[in-house]
Amino acid sequence: MKTVINEQERRNFAREVESKLHDKLAKCYQCGKCSAGCPVNFEMDFTPNQIIKMTELGMTDRVLNSKTIWLCVSCNTCSTRCPKGFEVAGIMDVLREIAVNRGIESKTEKEVQTFHEVFLDNVKSNGRIFELELVGKYKLKTKHLFRDMFLAPKMIEKGKLKMHSDKVSDINQIAKIFKDFE
Amino acid sequence: MARIGVFVCWCGSNIAGTVDVKRVAEEAAKIPGVVEAVDYKYMCSDPGQNTLRKMIKDKNLTGVVLAACSPHMHENTFRKAAVKEGLNPYFIEIANIREQVSWVHEDKEKATEKAIDLLKMMVEKVKKNKAIEDVRVPLTKKALVIGGGISGIQAALDIANGGVEVILVEKEPSIGGKMIQLDETFPTLDCSSCIMTPKMVEVYQHPNIKLYTYSELEEVSGYIGNFNVKIKKKARSIVEKDCTGCGDCWNICPMHKNVKSEFNVNLSERTAIYVPFPQAVPLIPVIDRSVCLHYKKGGKCQKCYDACGPKCINFDLQDEIIEEKVGAIVAATGYDLMENSLYGEYGYGQFKDVISGLQFERLLSASGPTEGVVKRPSDGKTPETIVFIQCVGSRDPEKGVPYCSKVCCMYTAKHAKLFAHKVHGSQSYVFYIDIRATSKGYEEFVRGTMENEGAIYLRGRVSKIYEDNGKLIVKGADTLSGNQVEIAADMVVLATGVIPKKGSDKMAQMLGISYDKYGFYTESHPKLRPAESSTAGIYLAGMAQGPRDIPESVVSGSAAASKILGLFSKSEYEVEGTIASVNKTTCVGCFYCRRVCAYSAISKEEIKDRNGNVLKVVANVNSGLCAGCGACVNACFSKSIDLKGYLDEQIFAEIKSLAV
Repeated sequence: MKTVINEQERRNFAREVESKLHDKLAKCYQCGKCSAGCPVNFEMDFTPNQIIKMTELGMTDRVLNSKTIWLCVSCNTCSTRCPKGFEVAGIMDVLREIAVNRGIESKTEKEVQTFHEVFLDNVKSNGRIFELELVGKYKLKTKHLFRDMFLAPKMIEKGKLKMHSDKVSDINQIAKIFKDFE
Repeated sequence: MARIGVFVCWCGSNIAGTVDVKRVAEEAAKIPGVVEAVDYKYMCSDPGQNTLRKMIKDKNLTGVVLAACSPHMHENTFRKAAVKEGLNPYFIEIANIREQVSWVHEDKEKATEKAIDLLKMMVEKVKKNKAIEDVRVPLTKKALVIGGGISGIQAALDIANGGVEVILVEKEPSIGGKMIQLDETFPTLDCSSCIMTPKMVEVYQHPNIKLYTYSELEEVSGYIGNFNVKIKKKARSIVEKDCTGCGDCWNICPMHKNVKSEFNVNLSERTAIYVPFPQAVPLIPVIDRSVCLHYKKGGKCQKCYDACGPKCINFDLQDEIIEEKVGAIVAATGYDLMENSLYGEYGYGQFKDVISGLQFERLLSASGPTEGVVKRPSDGKTPETIVFIQCVGSRDPEKGVPYCSKVCCMYTAKHAKLFAHKVHGSQSYVFYIDIRATSKGYEEFVRGTMENEGAIYLRGRVSKIYEDNGKLIVKGADTLSGNQVEIAADMVVLATGVIPKKGSDKMAQMLGISYDKYGFYTESHPKLRPAESSTAGIYLAGMAQGPRDIPESVVSGSAAASKILGLFSKSEYEVEGTIASVNKTTCVGCFYCRRVCAYSAISKEEIKDRNGNVLKVVANVNSGLCAGCGACVNACFSKSIDLKGYLDEQIFAEIKSLAV
């Protein structure tokens, strides 16, 4: 695909990412170790190292509309193994954030985007995850009410799905974090 | 009657473990002519050598055969022992039963048979051996260095500081070579002229160095220790000893337009009478007769002559031929850059702001045409975005050369770095195929250019450059993200590949040294004799051998110097006596041998009768040059050349010994 590099746009985008990431894009020397170890690489449209390069070159649209930034599961294998200590998983977080701020909706990974939203809401209101509420809201939003239902008994049996919320004692502190961030 | 002594070495268990050494000795004793055959644990040890010496003396031996390790290991040891007993060293022969038998075979029975066969061959050979004297060549203790770049300067200074006289010949009006054209050097960013000029001045003032600038080598003859060279000192049109370098002449010269400055790579103009750059050594101008009005308009213009205080300008001076005798030569003829115009798609020559790396070097330099301010050639504006393209000509077997020019990755990183230092807020893009930064501090330097100076590196080549609205549009690829990219640049710098100096092939032919298909001089051995050429007494240094950076060029200059000082530390040069010799009675003078000789050791010799009439012309082997390779022996149609120590009768005797 052809990209005309606009120097000013490129700089603005790279600076925005770098300031949110607290890291330098130029650190990456494109060895590809992040992509080599990524467990979800096979589903991605661009490999993690390509995302870094394209961000550096200011290919804004392609990066923010990519599947990759939404498919990243933040397992941090890439960041842990990166020889240059670059925040590979971190850049995916930053790019998702910029995409949401710009109102870009992923065309292919809507459910992932929904999950992120529900997840954050859940944390905001409980201070930690209340799985039952999370699952319920997610299913309502995506309308996949019965998918994965058979997993529920097993999870309840193992105590992974609690029936009532276990809110943190001072929820105001959580609210403050969210406020500071917004 | 031959009296041969045979020694079979055990080499501990190295040989004795696989070869029945006792049996070998017993079988050897049965060969006619062998007076005694013994085995011994370590022949190379002192007691071993004493056994050898004792037998030579007691049994009055005429030849010795040792069944032992490779002659590369201990031939000299045993030869020295023989000489002490008055035996010619070439009566020692070695049957290699370690590397060629015990180390490569397992079956003891068969290995022993083979060892006996090898030993028999050597016994038959040594019976036919003749005494050979080593060749001694007198040495003229003076060296010639061709080329006054950094490697030639280093070689000249090292030789001169070792107390040997040096003649340094430089084609250009000043020494300094390519290095003096550079701005700062990677990876330390030392100012090139600041570290170069003291060395140039040292050369000029050194009592042991005779400097010929604006001079070329005309002719070389002779051989190691005894070269005769003719140097053409081109007419400067200046009486050098009277010139003070005041500059009155070149300041008044009316020819100050339309003549491009070679030193500034065509980015500025120079006068007809000129010094290439202000720090030139020697600071003596030269008149370019091809453009000077005095020569073109029949002597009308003589403004420089009128302005000259000491009246040292002489328009009638002629080229001079200087003859010198030297004992060794260093070929440090340097390099050129490839023609950028090879790549029509990059528009070099068509677009003024597409320039070469060396031109950008001049733009950065404080002594350059813009006094170190980066300005683009077309309109003098300071560029904000520069695209650098690496591997222009290098690693391109179709249009350029297949090899890597080695310095471009580093100088491009340096250019991007210096550009960022000089123009704040500017942006560099570098297109590369691979980054090769392998010496000390190099990788860190390139990373620094990316991480600290913000240069963007794109892995891929550029396919086209075109002009649009005052910008150069560079169409390239970023293969890492798989995108075609287009960048609007103010200037494009091509990292042009390195090729040998124009005429290096002619120089190699004149010197009689070998060169590769590109024109780079080839080393005698690529790993173990990197400073020596294929011809004895001629040494190599600098980029003339192949792409290398400044530290490597300095090292190679010093290496050539140390080889020469080592050669000159002896009173005579000694060569092994196993060289070719011509039977002048049967030689028909076809000189096919000359064509195959890699060492230029064969010359023509006229055989005359008593009245001085030439009867015939035959081949003559120069013992100082012959390396004893035997190529001429094989080539000779009339079987008139023999290699001493490997005569036909010796080889046939070896083969016959195996006949059942």
